[in-house]
Amino acid sequence: MRPLDPRLIRRIGPARRYIVTTAVLGFATALAILVQALLISRALAPVLAPSPLTEDGLGWLGVLVPVEARNLAVALGWLGVVVTVRVVLTWTQERLAHRAGSRVISELRAQVVSHAAALGPRWAASGEGAGVATTVTRGLDSLLPYFVRYLPQLLLSATVTPIMIVVVLGLDWISAAIVIGTLPLVPIFMVLVGLTTQERSAKHLDAMQRLASRTLDLIAGLPTLRALGREHGPSARVRELGDAQRRATMGSLRIAFLSGMVLELLTTLAVALVAVTLGFRLVAGGVTIETALAVLILAPEVYLPLRMVGTHFHASADGMAAADAAFDVLERPVASPGGTAAAPTLAGATLVVEDLAVSTPDGRRLAPGRLSFSARPGTVTALVGPNGDGKSTALAAVMGLLSPDSGFVAALTPEGRVDAYDVEAAGWSEQFAWAPQRPDLGPEGRTLSLGQRQGVALERALSAGRPVVVLDEPTSHLDRASRDAVISRITAAAATGATVIVATHEEDLIAVADVVVEVTAMEVAR
Amino acid sequence: MTIRRGATAASATTPPPPRRALRALLRDSELSRGRLALSIINGSAALGSAVGLSAIAAWLIARAAGMPSPADLALAAVVVRFFGIGRGLFRYLERLSSHETALRGVVSLRARVYDRLASSPADTVVGLRRGDVLARIGGDVDAVGDAVVRAIIPLSVAVVVSGLSIGILGFLDPRAGAVLAVAILVAGLGAALLTWRSARIAAIQGVAADARVADAVLSGLEGAAEHRVWGTTGEARDALAAANAASEQAHEAQARPAALAAAVQALASGGALIACLAIAVTGVNAGLYGATTAAMIALVPLAAFEAVGAVPTATQQLFRSREAARRIVAMAPESPAPQSPASESPASRGPRDSAGAPSPTSSQGHYAVTLTDLSVGWPSATPTRPVTAHVDAGGVLAIVGRSGIGKTTLLATLAGIVAPVAGAARIGAADAHRDLLGPVVGMTAEDAHVFGTTVLENLRVARGSVTADEARDALAAVGLAAWLDALPDGLDTPLGTGGDSVSGGERRRLLLARVLLTPQPVVLIDEPAEHLDTAGRHALGAVLGRLRGEGRTVVLVTHHLQLSDLADVTVSLDD
Repeated sequence: MRPLDPRLIRRIGPARRYIVTTAVLGFATALAILVQALLISRALAPVLAPSPLTEDGLGWLGVLVPVEARNLAVALGWLGVVVTVRVVLTWTQERLAHRAGSRVISELRAQVVSHAAALGPRWAASGEGAGVATTVTRGLDSLLPYFVRYLPQLLLSATVTPIMIVVVLGLDWISAAIVIGTLPLVPIFMVLVGLTTQERSAKHLDAMQRLASRTLDLIAGLPTLRALGREHGPSARVRELGDAQRRATMGSLRIAFLSGMVLELLTTLAVALVAVTLGFRLVAGGVTIETALAVLILAPEVYLPLRMVGTHFHASADGMAAADAAFDVLERPVASPGGTAAAPTLAGATLVVEDLAVSTPDGRRLAPGRLSFSARPGTVTALVGPNGDGKSTALAAVMGLLSPDSGFVAALTPEGRVDAYDVEAAGWSEQFAWAPQRPDLGPEGRTLSLGQRQGVALERALSAGRPVVVLDEPTSHLDRASRDAVISRITAAAATGATVIVATHEEDLIAVADVVVEVTAMEVAR
Repeated sequence: MTIRRGATAASATTPPPPRRALRALLRDSELSRGRLALSIINGSAALGSAVGLSAIAAWLIARAAGMPSPADLALAAVVVRFFGIGRGLFRYLERLSSHETALRGVVSLRARVYDRLASSPADTVVGLRRGDVLARIGGDVDAVGDAVVRAIIPLSVAVVVSGLSIGILGFLDPRAGAVLAVAILVAGLGAALLTWRSARIAAIQGVAADARVADAVLSGLEGAAEHRVWGTTGEARDALAAANAASEQAHEAQARPAALAAAVQALASGGALIACLAIAVTGVNAGLYGATTAAMIALVPLAAFEAVGAVPTATQQLFRSREAARRIVAMAPESPAPQSPASESPASRGPRDSAGAPSPTSSQGHYAVTLTDLSVGWPSATPTRPVTAHVDAGGVLAIVGRSGIGKTTLLATLAGIVAPVAGAARIGAADAHRDLLGPVVGMTAEDAHVFGTTVLENLRVARGSVTADEARDALAAVGLAAWLDALPDGLDTPLGTGGDSVSGGERRRLLLARVLLTPQPVVLIDEPAEHLDTAGRHALGAVLGRLRGEGRTVVLVTHHLQLSDLADVTVSLDD
């Protein structure tokens, strides 16, 4: 996983702007930290020096903080300004980070949902499609810590760290050599530790997740166990699984925390070395107290952003993984059915389905497998057959919502035969009045029960006046009286000239159908 | 019986206030005081090393500036290097010991919560109809454990290390100590209060906004095809945009105090730095102390605020853990109703865990089921019309009616989970009661769980003593023989967690096979209302035939009038 996904910069406007502003703020922060350190050393040096200071210990950096700052009152005044600037910078950065984070999340979410919708029902039914809802809600929400904590530190390590190195180099090249010498050790050791432990911690992680999901499975099944009077059996098992999980977790943590220790150890030890070296060189007169103080205060600042990147890495890993998954969806090409020709009017047209076959997501079956039928205007066509054999999929194909693996859907119009996949998709689909099994009806519809939603969807489909009425299990939630009413409305719709296609198990509905088509799945030869 | 039902209602304890909920759960997680203390000591040693490093390095530089003999610096040089190593080392030890402490606590707590849920009244457990509510408990228990690692230990370390820094400065110059104490208090308490406020806003506004976003996302994804047909794709997009905007607004509201908290910390540490520098320089000039003391007073504040820097994150975690603890306590109350002694009801003398029960039925007697002017309903719902019916032992009673009229509630009433609104439901000679659930009555809900374990273990959920032959026989009876043959390891094939790898129809029939293997003489089956296919219908017919042959009484909720042909008595809840 890359620390900064280039796709985030390329595709998401708010992310780009945020990164630029944060880099600028990071630069300003670096400057403030630098001036603060120089001011402290200016003010403190005269009281630490055994004899009055003669030379300027800050060299060319004296441009930033003039010698007058050795006067305490001047230094304190300047420090007041610097602290105020740092407070404002901190506040601004924090506000911008939250705002940009939630903007990026919204933008990414809207793009992914709209793209996933365009990818169509077959993709949605695939394993990959199933996780999209989780990715764009809880997954993307964890991008916030990435934007608020991790990314600013990442940019600080790209601004503050190099600036501080240049400054230390300008002050005292021996200290700079220690810093520059240890700095590359940080990534090298972290990579080494990471490489040697990756396999082991992956194994531990796997064991951990397996154990956790089994424990949750036992808790989730508690109502079932209780309803059979078997709830006390797994109690000891919960503790056993928990202890096994703890051991696996500690095994992986012992390794995972090693890289953190290497990071802390190297950075703090380097600062200690700088301090000790400065001390002995001061005794030998190789460096002035003013320089030594400035270097001592600045040395930890070189490493601070790196340490913070390490600290916040884990908290933001989930968010980065979610963004990765989101971009994977966005990069999937849309293969929507349909061409460019204007769709024919389906009023009065006979719909013909020939050899229609759609493979299931696992690719093991065709459901439906080689389905052929025709549906004439003014008739009711019933698709029957076992669950999972492709009735709903066949309906979706007829409406032009998915492209089949083989076969055709066409309309026989007075002008001739028109293939559904040669014409503009929306023009074709929008001539159907569809009541699906689990109607959506938008966010407001989510407050209704499934039965209520079906009722509303059925009403909408039967009263829309569209040429083709497609109903998926229209009677599954109804009592006898409402069912009879729906069946008579279906026959009435056909009587007014609509082409009606229903998928059903309902004997009474099958009885009134003009054509009954058996939909069966086929095993794919292996 | 009515008296005992009253006792049940009284035993449903009201959850304690949230603060005590977290405290009570932490007590339940049997945290080892020794381990906790060790973690705090290690954590304080790590951050203390940073403060120590800055103090001794300041002393070293100031001393060296006086150009003493190098030998005078030797000890300080060693101590500085020690602190340089100490920070990383102690931090590593602290992370290990704190995680170990918390994980042990989580394991204890998880087992404790499971026990509580398992022994709580059946209506609590079975009434929690949705599996995901229970599954969330797992995350909530982990969140209570996180309180240890991410809140309690860092906050304790912050107190110890801040005390240490204040002590050092106070020893050198009481004025500097006082300044640092005030600044650290402002940085710590101010940030804590502001973060707490931010977390509250997130909990109130954020949760509502998240729910709205989730709805809009689901509508946009699951309803995509429908939106295309009805030409409402644009509306769905607008709904998501509006939900996103609301969510951004909620974030904005919680970001305001959070940003203020960060600013307060920057201000407090900056203020302390300025004040201590002034005190140090004027102190030397006034001849109060020497250069080394002044250097320490001026430079220690640079390192002293790292510990309180952890306060915002820790506060947030504390809030989250508190909410999680509140949910756990509400779901699994602390003092569950004691299991009624077996002697109270003759029926409950049956084995609770029937492992080794010789035959599922013969030893357990026969029970008729009688409904007398029975009207049922959950407390706030409209009760059903009164029905009267009787089925002898070994018979099948079918309950039909349209969706939502209360068929499942009637089944829950027979299971003793819901009290009747009027009339009576009798199992054998006794009123339906939750103590009968298990020993006499076994229920299979519409959404019964398929466990993430082998096929055989999933059938053993019915009875611990199910043999491989019995399992195969039951699967064959429900038409799953071919399915079983196709599985790579037969009965030992694991099914995905939650039974993901099983299709809807197969799952249904697997649950029916489980029903066949249950030992209870009274069997309640809630058939799913929709989409029962032919194979499922055949399986149900076969199961009913077998149960009838074993002399067991079946109450079946069904939607399919054809199925009522298989019943001896049919009751309709429709008006």
